[in-house]
Amino acid sequence: MPLADVAETYTDLVTTVFSSTIAAKAWFATAAVLLALVQVTTAARIYGKLSFLPERGETVARIHRWSGRIAFLCTLPVFFHCVTILGFQTPDARVAIHSLVGTFVYGVFVAKVLIVRDHSLPRWALPTAGLSLASVLVVLWLTSSLWYFTNVRFGF
Amino acid sequence: MGRGWRPILIGVAVAVATFALAQAQIFAPSAPAGGTATGDVDRGEVIFQRECAECHGDEGAGGVGSALFETGLDAAEVSDAVQQGRGVMPAGIVTGQEQADVVAYVVSISSPSE
Repeated sequence: MPLADVAETYTDLVTTVFSSTIAAKAWFATAAVLLALVQVTTAARIYGKLSFLPERGETVARIHRWSGRIAFLCTLPVFFHCVTILGFQTPDARVAIHSLVGTFVYGVFVAKVLIVRDHSLPRWALPTAGLSLASVLVVLWLTSSLWYFTNVRFGF
Repeated sequence: MGRGWRPILIGVAVAVATFALAQAQIFAPSAPAGGTATGDVDRGEVIFQRECAECHGDEGAGGVGSALFETGLDAAEVSDAVQQGRGVMPAGIVTGQEQADVVAYVVSISSPSE
């Protein structure tokens, strides 16, 4: 399959559900950000910073792990369209910020996953990495989905 | 250098790889040279109504987005606007053949009538 056809196939696939690839990205990014907020909340509970969740144990840890996995999956179609089709663009401040921050999202993600598995690091390292990742996702959402919903249209 | 730097260094390497991939745009459809050469005006009208008319109005009469009807745009200008975005219009609303079709349609309606 020629490389250019990949974009068309992707567009055909996405538009079976969404009105456009941009709308699909806006909603996938929204799902990822909402799950990132679940991540931050459950992480805070695991670290004993919140007490309103029902329990502090395996259930919260499981919610934390699965919300992270699903959030990662939600970012994949966004990554595919933004990085492999649209590329790094700087036509205005919003897009430039989005492109620049988006370049780092998987780097921060990989660093966070590595920090999770390295128990020799200081205790502050993991929450710092997690909050950094959530912040990156929020900035990306503000400069894409929120902008799309408020300037173009709010719909599928 | 301590072991604690390893996640950061690997993370930076991933960011650099992402940037390189974004620069390559490996799946970006080639720009429709001339637009009308590869695009289908009829299909373009259908896509235009679906993707563009909400802002640019039916038949490009204008609205939130700029008017396109009889404005003398050429294919290169329209392609560039679709690919790069313009004002509040996001980049890449349509890509590939759909882009070529929309470009063909917009060029057809933007041609000044004799």
